[in-house]
Amino acid sequence: MERVIIIRYAEIHLKGKNRGFFEHVFANNLERSLRGIRHELHRTSGRWLIEKFEETRTEEIAERISKVFGVHSYSVGYLIGSSMEEIFEGAKLVAPHEGTFKVETHRAYKQYPLNSMEISAEIGGRLIETYPALRVDVHSPQHTVYVDVRENGSALVFCAFGEGAGGMPVGTSGKGLLLISGGIDSPVAGYMMAKRGMTVELLHFHSYPYTNEGAKEKVVSLAKILSPYTLVTRLTTVKVTKIQEEIHAKCAAELNVTLLRRFMFRIAERFAKEHGLQCLITGESLGQVASQTIEGLTSSNAVVSLPVLRPLVGFDKEEIILRSRKIGAYETSVLPFEDCCTVFLPEHPAIRPALSFIEEEEGKLNVQALVEEALATAEKIEF
Amino acid sequence: MIYLDNAATTRPDEEALARAQRFASENYFNPSASYGGGFAVSARLKEARENLLSYIADPAKFELVFTSGGTESDNQAIFSAARRGNAVTTAGEHAAVERAFAELKNRGVETRFAPVDRYGAVDADALLSLVDEKTSLVSVIHVNNETGALNDIAAIARRVKAKNPRCVFMSDGVQSFGKILVRLTQEIDLYAFSAHKIGALKGTGALVKRKNFSLAPLIHGGGQEGNLRSGTENVLGILDFAYAAEKKFSSLSEDGKRLKRYREMLWDMLDHGLFMRISPSEGSPYILTVSAEGARGEVLSRMLWERGIAVGTGSACSSKRRFSRVLTACGYGEKTLDGVLRVSFSPETAEEEICFAANEMNAAAKEFKEKL
Repeated sequence: MERVIIIRYAEIHLKGKNRGFFEHVFANNLERSLRGIRHELHRTSGRWLIEKFEETRTEEIAERISKVFGVHSYSVGYLIGSSMEEIFEGAKLVAPHEGTFKVETHRAYKQYPLNSMEISAEIGGRLIETYPALRVDVHSPQHTVYVDVRENGSALVFCAFGEGAGGMPVGTSGKGLLLISGGIDSPVAGYMMAKRGMTVELLHFHSYPYTNEGAKEKVVSLAKILSPYTLVTRLTTVKVTKIQEEIHAKCAAELNVTLLRRFMFRIAERFAKEHGLQCLITGESLGQVASQTIEGLTSSNAVVSLPVLRPLVGFDKEEIILRSRKIGAYETSVLPFEDCCTVFLPEHPAIRPALSFIEEEEGKLNVQALVEEALATAEKIEF
Repeated sequence: MIYLDNAATTRPDEEALARAQRFASENYFNPSASYGGGFAVSARLKEARENLLSYIADPAKFELVFTSGGTESDNQAIFSAARRGNAVTTAGEHAAVERAFAELKNRGVETRFAPVDRYGAVDADALLSLVDEKTSLVSVIHVNNETGALNDIAAIARRVKAKNPRCVFMSDGVQSFGKILVRLTQEIDLYAFSAHKIGALKGTGALVKRKNFSLAPLIHGGGQEGNLRSGTENVLGILDFAYAAEKKFSSLSEDGKRLKRYREMLWDMLDHGLFMRISPSEGSPYILTVSAEGARGEVLSRMLWERGIAVGTGSACSSKRRFSRVLTACGYGEKTLDGVLRVSFSPETAEEEICFAANEMNAAAKEFKEKL
C-alpha cells in the first residue's frame, strides 16, 4: 500500500487547444517546487499523482504544492490494488473514526464486478463494523471517503481535501517586474499577478546610507517568502540615493515623493525592457498615501510606455493585510526597517500635483544621466 | 578600518584568545569530571575566578559567579534580590536592568525610577528619597553606557544602607570593569560585568556577590558555580576573559589617562558648529557621546562606515528604537536625540585614528547637512 498525493488543477481545463502547453508548464512548476525531495510525478485522467516519496515527508510535500498556482486542491491517499479487500484496507486508513460519512466511488474500469453504488455500500458497511462511532449520512456527511477504481488494476482511496492556491500556472501569462519595497502591499501585488500565471521578477530601490542593510535583508526575506508561489529566486536592487539627494537639493519639497516615483518607474521600465519583461507591477492602492492619488498614479504612468499593473488598486488596507497574512509575509513586512528614508519625506507632500508643475520641477534635473547612474548600481541577489 | 565602537563590543585580544584556546583544546575535559583531567580544568577555572575577582574586590569578602554575560548577571541579581515591596533604580540604566525592572512590575513589585542629570548621572538625593523601609533592591549603573557618566556607587550605596540596611544594593559595571579603577565596598552586594567589552569573547560574564549574601540561581541544573549558575562551564570564554582582563588591568590607569587625553582631543577637533557634546568631562575616558543636531545619527554612522570608521549611535542593544530612552531622560529634544553618535575607545586606539576620525566626522556631518 503506497502513500500518494492526488492533485487536481484549477483552470487548465478551460484552455482548449492550449491545454497541452498549460499542463506542461504546470508539471514543470510542480517539479520545481518539489526540488530536493525524491518523488515521481504522473498524470492520470484529469489529475496529477505524486508517488514514490518517503512517507515522513508527506506534509512537507503537501505544504509545497499547496503554494503552486494552478493547484485547485489535493488529497493525501493510498494507491492500492483493486480487490475489495485491498480497497477496504486503504479505506480503513483514510476514514474518520467517528461522525457522519459516506463513501463515493468513481469507477473508470467499467468491467469491475461491482458497480459504483455496490462498492460504496460494501465499503461503507465494513467501515461501520470497524468503527462503531461512525454513522452514514448520504446527504450532508461530515466526511466523504472517495474510492477510485482505475483501469490498470489499481485503485485510489482518500478522504480529506487540502485547498490549493488556485489560479493559473506561473509562466503561462507573460512576465512582469514587481517594484518591491519591503512594506505590506508590494509582496501581495506580486502574489496576485503570479496567481494569474505571470512570471514576476523583482526590483528593489534603496537609498543607502539613508536606509540600512537591514532594510535590504528584509526585502530578501520577503522575496524568499514569495518564491514558493512565484518560483523566482532572484532579486535586483538599485541605489537611488543620488536621485533623492538631487531632488531634495533642487526641487520643490512637496514633490519629493512624486518625482522619486517617476524616477523609479523610468528605471524599472529600462530594466524591464532590457530583460524582456512586459509590464510593471506595483502595490499601489488608490488613495492609500499622498502619492497614490489618481494624479499621483497618472504622473508616474506618464513617464513609461509599458503597462503598469496595480492589482491592489481597489483594495482597503485590511483586505491587503488579510492576504499578506495568508501568504505568510505580514510578520516580515511589519518589521521596523525603513524602506525609504524618512529624512527625505516632506511634511506636506503634494496630493494632487499638476503635471505641468511636476515637469517644470523635474526640468531642473538631468533625468537621463541620473537614470543611467542608478542603473549602473544594479546588483543581482540570488537566493 | 578604525574601530571606535568599543562600548558596543571590542576586538578579541589575539594573544589572550590563543592562550585560552590552547588550554581549552588540549584540556577539553568536563571540569566536573572526577579524574585528573577534569581536576586540571577546574583548577584553571578557579585561578581565573580568583584573578578576575582580585582586580576589583577583596577575595576574602566577595565571590565571583560566571554567567553568560552582563544581561544574565543583571537579571540574576535583580530577580534574586527583589521579591517584595519596592525596587529602586535610575532612569539611566542599560536595557538589561530597565527591562528586568519592567518584569518585576509584572510580578507585583513596585518599581521606582530616580531621575538623571543632563549627562545621565543619577540624582543621588532623589534616589535616596525613593528608598524606604519596604525597598528590597536598589540598582545603580556604574558607568552610563550611552554617555560615560559616572555614578559614585560607593557613596550612594553607603547612603542607601544607612537608610535601609536590609535592602540589597547592586550595580551594573559592564562599562567600568577593566576600564576604570573599581574597589567594591561592603555596602555593595552585587556587581555585574561582561567579558566582551574588554577584549574577550562574547558569551561570558560575571556576577560578583558579597560573601554570605544569599543569591538565588536563575538557571538550575548540575549545580556548577556553587549551585548558583548551572551548566557546564564555558572554559574557553572564562579563560579568555581572565587573560584579557590581566592585560587590561596591567595598564589600567595609564590607558585611562591617555584615553582621556584622546577623548578631549577628539572633542577639540570636532566642529562645534556641527556637534554638541553630551558626555561629561569627568566621565569614563572610554566614551565620548556627541550629537550632530539636525542630522540622523544612524545615517551618519553608515556614512562613516563607508569612510572606514565604525562608531555607534548610542546603545547598540536598543538601536532599533528611534530615540534613546536614557538620553530622553537626560532631557534632550528630538533634534539632539536624532543626531547622537557614541564614539568609544579601547587601549588599542591610536592618536592618528582620533585625528582621522575627527576629520571624517566633521566631513560627514557637513555633507549630511548640505544635502538635507
